[in-house]
Amino acid sequence: MQFLYSGLTSGSIYGLVALGFNIIYNTTGIINFAQGEFVMIGGMLIYTLFSVMGLPFPIAFFGAVGCAFLVGIVFERVFIRLTRIKNELNLITVTIAASIIIRDVAMHVWGRDSLPVKEFIPVFNIKMPGGVISSQSVLVILVSLAVAFGLNLFLKKSRYGKAMRASFDDPVAAETCGISVSTIRVMSFAVASLLGAVAGVIIAPIMFVTYDDGIMTGLKGFSAAILGGLGNFGAAIAGGLMLGIFESFSASVIPSGLKDAVAFLVILLILFVKPDGLFGKKKVHRV
Amino acid sequence: MLEVKSLYVSYGGVQALTNVSVHVKKGEFVSLIGSNGAGKTTLLNSIMNIVSKQKGSALFDGKDVTKKTTSNIVADGMALVPEGRRVFANMSVHENLEMGGFKRPASEVKQKLAEVTEMFPVLGERASQMAGMLSGGEQQMLAIARALMTNPRILLMDEPSMGLAPLVIKEVYEKLKVLASTGLTILLVEQNASVALKYAQRGYVLENGRIIMQGKASELLGDNEVKRAYLGKEYKEKWER
Repeated sequence: MQFLYSGLTSGSIYGLVALGFNIIYNTTGIINFAQGEFVMIGGMLIYTLFSVMGLPFPIAFFGAVGCAFLVGIVFERVFIRLTRIKNELNLITVTIAASIIIRDVAMHVWGRDSLPVKEFIPVFNIKMPGGVISSQSVLVILVSLAVAFGLNLFLKKSRYGKAMRASFDDPVAAETCGISVSTIRVMSFAVASLLGAVAGVIIAPIMFVTYDDGIMTGLKGFSAAILGGLGNFGAAIAGGLMLGIFESFSASVIPSGLKDAVAFLVILLILFVKPDGLFGKKKVHRV
Repeated sequence: MLEVKSLYVSYGGVQALTNVSVHVKKGEFVSLIGSNGAGKTTLLNSIMNIVSKQKGSALFDGKDVTKKTTSNIVADGMALVPEGRRVFANMSVHENLEMGGFKRPASEVKQKLAEVTEMFPVLGERASQMAGMLSGGEQQMLAIARALMTNPRILLMDEPSMGLAPLVIKEVYEKLKVLASTGLTILLVEQNASVALKYAQRGYVLENGRIIMQGKASELLGDNEVKRAYLGKEYKEKWER
């Protein structure tokens, strides 16, 4: 059971990162390999604002997430917008380049060391059947679920959320409705960056923050998105949780040094056996 | 109202439109006919700046729109019902209509919603259904209604008869006739020449990216060349006359 609890915690984070992948995949058709960098930025900013500057947590939280939102906007305007020929290959290459740039800048700003972030809620263990779960893990799981729920509400109810869904469905038709798809694309990057930063903030006190965290987090989130099936938000969360649990249980049978390999084993298995993901629909195109 | 002046468009080295000039006056119903691959969709898409032109212009109320973004052209009052309907399949009928009114103020959206559901009662009945579940004819109605939600002064229609049964085609065109009678300007492109010319006042014939004929719709319907190439009437019939 203990494995389940720790799996759920890391799984929630993977789920949030996978959501970010999905949002950008849906609006642009690309995989944004800088998604993990957004998580790192969230963690770094909360370190600076909360641990170093000592701002009250709510202000630091909104500051960090707000900055990440802006980073998302700038990211799209600079890296994606300026790419002249916007085919998938070019754009994906651009996101990889961008992720390296962000990582290097972060290394210069925050240094190479792992930075500790103070806890922002009282830490205690909660007795659960078959093990204990820390209050921080509970927070991570609850916040992830709340964010996923909030995102769902945004897409279903709000005017811009609906416009985003319309653009996912058919960008050209969305344009003919007067929806500026370019604006929607910026929004999707901003929202994805925001989701990443939320993940980065809530996980920060559990794991230290390091400038190169983005690579592993990004790839794990990507695995989760593939596991669930790209393009499907519910599946992203489910994929994240499953990957987290799977990883955690595998640590009990194989050396924990190989834990990271498990995620990639999962990607390979999925791509070999069920390329559309566990919950992915077969893509059908009318001709 | 709309004046396309010597438009040239090419796709990856292939000349799709060559020196195409078309005009539509306020309140007119104009049909442009042409076979598959003649460049009909390209023409509408380049007017809406979904594809970019090489040369020429498309004046809407005297202003060139080919440099504006599609969404801004829509906001100016020109709407397109795209080829193959392209409704948002994973959204409800109601949400599809809401999207059409994306740029319009809430009060106007409400009023327009009432108008279009009165005109297309089936959309009111199926408001909460996913648009992808509708039949082809219903999707076409939805696509038209969605375009109307943008409150257009001119409606561009791309191949409304595509994939529809003859009875449904008639139904769609009857709706267009009603719309035209309320003063809406319509430019329609069609492969189905007989029905397109029957409902229009004026027509153009597009072949290999060039306008080869234009005139009153009734005259085009009676033209031998049009009959042979687009109405499926063979020479034999002409000889025997």
